[in-house]
Amino acid sequence: MEILSVQNLNKRYPKFDLKDVSFSLEQGYIMGFIGRNGAGKTTTIKSILRLVHQDSGTVTVLGKDFAADEFACKQQIGLVLGGINYYPQKKLKVIADVTRRFYPEWDAAAFSGYLKRFDLDPDKTIKELSDGMRVKFALALALSHNARLLILDEPTSGLDPVSRDDLLELFQELIENSERSILFSTQITSDLEKCADFITYIKKGEIIASTARDDLVDSYKLIKGTSAQLTDALLPRLIGCKKTDFGFTALLRSADLPCAAGLQVDPSDLESIMIHIEKE
Amino acid sequence: MKELLFKEFKLALHPTTYLFLAIGALLLIPAYIYYVAFIYTCLSIFFVFLIARENKDALYTVSLPIRKRDAVKARCLMVAIIELSQTLIAVPFAIIGIRINPNPAGNVAGIEANMAFFGLVLIMYALFNFIFLSQFYKTATKVGGPLILSSIALAIYVTAAEAAVQMIPYLKTHLDTTDPATALYRLPVLILGIIIFALSLGYTYRKSAANFEKVDL
Repeated sequence: MEILSVQNLNKRYPKFDLKDVSFSLEQGYIMGFIGRNGAGKTTTIKSILRLVHQDSGTVTVLGKDFAADEFACKQQIGLVLGGINYYPQKKLKVIADVTRRFYPEWDAAAFSGYLKRFDLDPDKTIKELSDGMRVKFALALALSHNARLLILDEPTSGLDPVSRDDLLELFQELIENSERSILFSTQITSDLEKCADFITYIKKGEIIASTARDDLVDSYKLIKGTSAQLTDALLPRLIGCKKTDFGFTALLRSADLPCAAGLQVDPSDLESIMIHIEKE
Repeated sequence: MKELLFKEFKLALHPTTYLFLAIGALLLIPAYIYYVAFIYTCLSIFFVFLIARENKDALYTVSLPIRKRDAVKARCLMVAIIELSQTLIAVPFAIIGIRINPNPAGNVAGIEANMAFFGLVLIMYALFNFIFLSQFYKTATKVGGPLILSSIALAIYVTAAEAAVQMIPYLKTHLDTTDPATALYRLPVLILGIIIFALSLGYTYRKSAANFEKVDL
């Protein structure tokens, strides 16, 4: 079942445009939303939730039109914009006490369970939490109102590798045998290698790929060759060609592989795909 | 809406606002421009917006299952609750003030704290609310500009209201007194104040919500 569908989202800024952003996410999967800083990840997420006034486009959550039924759609969504950074002086229990009132499905037992599991002390204030703990607290809130769709904007940025790994494992655990899905934006491609089923890649406000991670990785190859092998016939097919003293490295669509006879062909990964595509 | 109001009072309101509610005690001063007591409340409302902004309230609030305009409605209601509470709390101080300061010349600094005055205060709040809130929700971040604009409007309004009462003989004899014999002349001003306050609140909400809808958070 389709949990989130975004169709032709447009938003015009003086110096930046979100152009016809479309993608969808099925139930039970994790989608990584990647792109450079300023590519439009946060703007897209905010437009989906109508925090940013979109110029056109439709968003549906579990088949319901977001614009028409904002209340029902938001009940299903747990939104985490970074970690929690609002009301830093307030205690977790106060924030939770205010938040729970908005959700008829709030499960108090589940909430205290998540606090224990994430080792969160309800008498601490938000500012006393580390970045990783803030994300976990935001997750505890989202999970306790039984959100089906978790939308997380850069939840792993600023975390140390151990906390990051911990969080990614948690993501996988959360969607296992459940009706939940997770959409999370990141610029750390190794996060996605670990847990994303699907990748949506945004560049300068345009979605350039939204597909299964393995399909995306398989659709490109990393090729290396000497300067002599960099022929005029080959050059237009190369993506983000980087020339060195000894030769070149570039990305090539798998479909164009026949052109690469005699060159060193390696499998690509998300990082090399991103680096070469952004070089274009 | 009650959840949102709970949020406003629990998170956005600084406890000093409750202290400010008792500022009607200034009506006990024998000679004073009594409007000042109520202008302090405008300041405490300004602090609510300042604190909410510094605590990134808007992003938290709109991530909850509400519409953007509900956030504005809750804030408008909260402002009205603060203003009306403070006005009601000021009434006993006004009554006590008249009794303990039996000054035949009355309040020499400005209008007496009578029914008409309370009506004029409600009109002042109506003016403040409209300018401050509708201007604030154009950006949802800038609080200084709306405060300056609304302060200028308030200064002009209070000066004009005081000048009219002091300089127009009919208003001086009927409005600037606590003489029970002329109380009936002051009642319409109070009623007018209540009506303008209520109408302004509705219009302020609509205008502010429309402005906030266009803001990109």
